Amino acid sequence: MHIPDGYLGPATSGVMYAAMLPVWALASRMVKKTLKNKQIPLLAISAAFCFIIMMFNIPIPGGTTGHAVGAVLAAILLGPWAACIAVTVALVVQALLFGDGGITAIGANCFNMAFVEVFAGYYIYKFISGNSPSTSGRRVFAAAAAGYLALNIAALTTALMFGIQPLLYRTPTGQPLYCPYGLSVAVPMMLGEHLLVFGWVEALITALVVKYLQKQDPSLIVSGKEG
Amino acid sequence: MKRSCFIEKSLMGTVAFLRESVFADDYAAKKGFLQARDPRFKTAAVFFLVLSVLFSRDIPAIAVIYLITLLSAGCSFINPVFFLSRTWFFIPFFTLFIAAPSVFSVFTPGEPLASFRIGGFLLQITRQGAAGALIFFSRVLVSVSLCVLLSLTTKHFALLKVLRVFRVPQIFVMTLGMCYRYIFLFIGIIQDTYTAMKSRCGYAVSPVKGQRIVAWNIATLWQRSYQMQSRVYDAMLSRGYTGETYLYGGFRAGVRDVFMLAAAAVIFFFVLWQTYCSS
Repeated sequence: MHIPDGYLGPATSGVMYAAMLPVWALASRMVKKTLKNKQIPLLAISAAFCFIIMMFNIPIPGGTTGHAVGAVLAAILLGPWAACIAVTVALVVQALLFGDGGITAIGANCFNMAFVEVFAGYYIYKFISGNSPSTSGRRVFAAAAAGYLALNIAALTTALMFGIQPLLYRTPTGQPLYCPYGLSVAVPMMLGEHLLVFGWVEALITALVVKYLQKQDPSLIVSGKEG
Repeated sequence: MKRSCFIEKSLMGTVAFLRESVFADDYAAKKGFLQARDPRFKTAAVFFLVLSVLFSRDIPAIAVIYLITLLSAGCSFINPVFFLSRTWFFIPFFTLFIAAPSVFSVFTPGEPLASFRIGGFLLQITRQGAAGALIFFSRVLVSVSLCVLLSLTTKHFALLKVLRVFRVPQIFVMTLGMCYRYIFLFIGIIQDTYTAMKSRCGYAVSPVKGQRIVAWNIATLWQRSYQMQSRVYDAMLSRGYTGETYLYGGFRAGVRDVFMLAAAAVIFFFVLWQTYCSS
């Protein structure tokens, strides 16, 4: 789902940066307010944690592998605002320090993974888990459903960004200038692979981690709920 | 490598990626053309060039910027094989794979360039499709090359300091710096855990068991991270942390830095003029 430089036109990239600026500003204000000084390293640790999750490939039937984004897991464990910063930092580290991903596409990538996926996942998880105890099976199901649905919602916003490129940028002779596929191709392709493959990877990882944490240290799940 | 050892494959891939990045830091220490430039000016110049590539609708203009990128890499003593493999592999190849179907009239209708039949189906390559795929691929390749060149020729702590100069909020810059260090620490922890597990359980792992092991690794990593935070904070306090971060050491810009930035800005404005005013 990482969009590299060159896939989106200048206006789309600019609009996505503009859309993310107030989110980042609000996230840093909320985190400063809610996170105690002592918990500041947790933010960096969580960003590194998200980065590592994105590098972990797990096997998919058919012989291929896929990786989770970890955004929903971070939202469950940290709360949405801190998770927004953690995923943003993980994406910036990838783009800037490791040269993996795009500088001009950071706004769009953060919109999809650090905003849409994080907040959609967090509220779906909250809605399904309700007031159930931190060790209940309902929370594991909620984590899986949130992981699956939020990743697919984020895939849809990514597909919409790709799909509008030929509508926005085309020469008078009909030559596409950025991502060449319109909505009729981009949306089914992106949603198809995420509904069938990557969504399940995200659901599986999110649910299994929540299940293991329930057994080992349920307080970690409770603290995320408060964040 | 067997499919059953996917965890090892995944781990080795991550370790190799990170090792390559540390190795890349050696390039930043060399005394080349870009290493000698002020990181603020260099970052701004690269940003201008990436924007030029983004705005450009002209293959020759993108090719000229790629030539500048390759020349700068050469003048900065970056091994050309390493640079080309790092920049061509994965994202540009993946883009080539994505762009390939768009050359056909099914996706991009237009003036026919070539046509052939496969199993009774007539496939037609259009001029618009081919040109669109070429500009799409070259734009991605040059952008990736520029970003990699910046990260190869700039010390990572200097890049973080540049973010602060560009008014990125302190909480992001501080988190970025700490996150970078934790990534290496975490990889070490996962590697040790996996080695210990392998010594007890053996080499081959079924996919279902493997999925559980990955989830267990992630969960344990989170638990350890959470426990680590208070110790890290104590260490920060012992070094005099008061809630504010300070980045020591200033940047010094010279005439060459100004010239480089001016040249990048001229290219950017020329591309803007070419895209929006020349026709």
